[in-house]
Amino acid sequence: MNKIFKAFIALVTLVFLSLPVNAAPIELHYWHGHTGKLETIINEIAERWNASQDESKLIPTSKGSYEDILAAFIAAYRAGEHPHMVQVYDAGAAIMIAQVKNGVVYPFEDMADKYGVNFNKDDYIPGIRNFYADSDGKMIGIPFNSSTCLMYANMDILEAAGVEVPKTYEEFEGIAQKIKDAGYIPLLQSHSPWIWTENFFSRHNLLMTDGNNGYDAVPTTTLFADTPEFITHWEKVKEWKDKGWYDYKGRAWGDNQAPFIAGEAAFWLGSAASFSGMKGVVPNFSVNHIPYWSSMTGGKEYPTFIGGAANWILSGKSDEEYAALMKLAEFMTTPEIQLFYHNMSGYAAVTYSAIELANAIGFYDLSPYHKAVGEQLSLTGSTIPGGYRAGNWPQIREVIYENVHKMLSGEITVEQGWKNTDAGAAKLLAQFAKTL
Amino acid sequence: MKRVQFKSYYTQYFFVAPQLAIILVFLYLPIVQTFTDAFTTQDAFGFGRYFSGFDNFIFALSDATYLRAFKFTILFICVITFFSCSMGLLLAVQANNVIHGKSYYKTLLIWPYAIAPAVVGVTANYFFSERLGILYSFFHNLWGFNWYDNIHDAYIYVFIAATWKQISANFIFFLAGLQTIQKPIIEASLIDCKSSFRRFWTITFPLLMPTTFFLIIINITYSFFDTLGIIDTTTIGAPSGETKTLVFKAYIDGFRGLDLGSAGAQSIVMMLIVLVITVFQFRFIEGRIHYN
Repeated sequence: MNKIFKAFIALVTLVFLSLPVNAAPIELHYWHGHTGKLETIINEIAERWNASQDESKLIPTSKGSYEDILAAFIAAYRAGEHPHMVQVYDAGAAIMIAQVKNGVVYPFEDMADKYGVNFNKDDYIPGIRNFYADSDGKMIGIPFNSSTCLMYANMDILEAAGVEVPKTYEEFEGIAQKIKDAGYIPLLQSHSPWIWTENFFSRHNLLMTDGNNGYDAVPTTTLFADTPEFITHWEKVKEWKDKGWYDYKGRAWGDNQAPFIAGEAAFWLGSAASFSGMKGVVPNFSVNHIPYWSSMTGGKEYPTFIGGAANWILSGKSDEEYAALMKLAEFMTTPEIQLFYHNMSGYAAVTYSAIELANAIGFYDLSPYHKAVGEQLSLTGSTIPGGYRAGNWPQIREVIYENVHKMLSGEITVEQGWKNTDAGAAKLLAQFAKTL
Repeated sequence: MKRVQFKSYYTQYFFVAPQLAIILVFLYLPIVQTFTDAFTTQDAFGFGRYFSGFDNFIFALSDATYLRAFKFTILFICVITFFSCSMGLLLAVQANNVIHGKSYYKTLLIWPYAIAPAVVGVTANYFFSERLGILYSFFHNLWGFNWYDNIHDAYIYVFIAATWKQISANFIFFLAGLQTIQKPIIEASLIDCKSSFRRFWTITFPLLMPTTFFLIIINITYSFFDTLGIIDTTTIGAPSGETKTLVFKAYIDGFRGLDLGSAGAQSIVMMLIVLVITVFQFRFIEGRIHYN
């Protein structure tokens, strides 16, 4: 053996020996559906966690959109390459909760008990807690980025038109023409299935599917065409579109938001999380509760469903990894992190203790934008469940998109459109029920 | 002629093994998987699996949106194949006649071929966006173009995006085809016929038939399968699902809707369609083509 080779071996041995003796931190993989600004916020949280302790290391990976991430992690799960924790959105909640019995998802509540995490169920805002809980109220997902639909208003336009922010759709009808006359688009909306369908039902305390929104029994049909209030709302929307009070820019989220960002529209219905991209771009805007028809609720205001996503614990990892993961979950729910996230992203703070902290430091006086989301989600008095458990919902949303377009373009009547949607949804619900 | 043969019986298998392994893993296994998915009902995670016969086929094919996607796909294939072939041919003939700077023209015309369909879609997005798009505002001024709302305008949008990408591929093959035509034939035709138009259709074009036939098949498979990325980055099926091709629908149902059974059934139907088209072409069209 020549000398150079010997020296090489010695060098390699030396390098290995000089490696730190303490064990490498446990890697915790987290797949999420945040991109752009929101992704940098997640990375910042990961950095804070990694700096705060050295037992585990959080590695967040952005997998694109919420739809992409669901497909990506299911493929990974089937291949046994899944992460420890995954972020899955509202429409995927039924899919995830159904997987508890197959052992894919570990319920958050069980894991918190098992690994002795400081966990107070009552600290979570009930609307947020129940959306990702099973029918017995056991928390399955870890509420994290909770948004809801809100109304953004361009205050400069309102001033120019001499009108105020409306609380109800009746009030909106009273001012829409003035805004139009001032040369602006009165209203835009970015997600017909989410805002003007699912959340229409919760905002007006109406059931959206049979089986008590799927909480009591596997739903077999949606109740769109059977709900006169809902049909009236969409007939109004069509009327507004024809009058130029509402502008429909197709189904894409961004296309409907763009005129508001460009300062051409007075109101835009979007997500609480849209705030992070809007701040500093739109000069003078306010964030408000989504309007409702006071004639339909008797003047009462009901909460909307939670939007956004929750984090779900996946099976197939070691005990030490879960112990570390639960500590991380505890960290992510601390008032400080919640408030940081709330402030940066516009998502709701999911615990009362975070809201208390915010109040204590006078956060909402400094940033009134952040008030609406928590207020709207904390409204009480609903008699319907705080969510819906309907399978194949991502596809049902597709059916809604298509029929909404046909209604708005006048190809079919509003009533016919929702009848078609009910029929399409019933088929998809039956298809899902077969796999349970 | 002396026959060349391997002495050992196993050596040839050794040499083809890597290729066979690739085909097995990336072609045959997925096909087997597609068949099992198509005939079973299961949830997204593969649980609750049971054999369900033709249930998935009935579910997928009885859907009104399936028929619509089917019709659109046929239209899509015809339009794209026709326009991309004819434009490719036109450009190839012109480039073949150019004397100065020939290679520059060729290089520039070949470029788009290297672009992935999804990137083509994103690029087309810029041209057709309501706020930024040059083509959007150009067409909008002409007839009130609005693909967000109007089905035919949405068709135009995806047709242009998908055709543009394929023109360069057709261009390369036609140009190569033109260069294989023997000079004496062209020279002889120059003496016999004055009209370059007639010369092209009676001499050059028939001699290009093998290339044309090959390109038609390539273009059909392109517009059938490869345009998934273009649809996904342009209209996403807008206005209301009218621009969904069969592949896009299968993709959406399988990977967004997480219904692998229905997606598998749709894939098998597509396989059959392509099989029929190909058999038809080889039987009825190829017989009428003369190779040199």
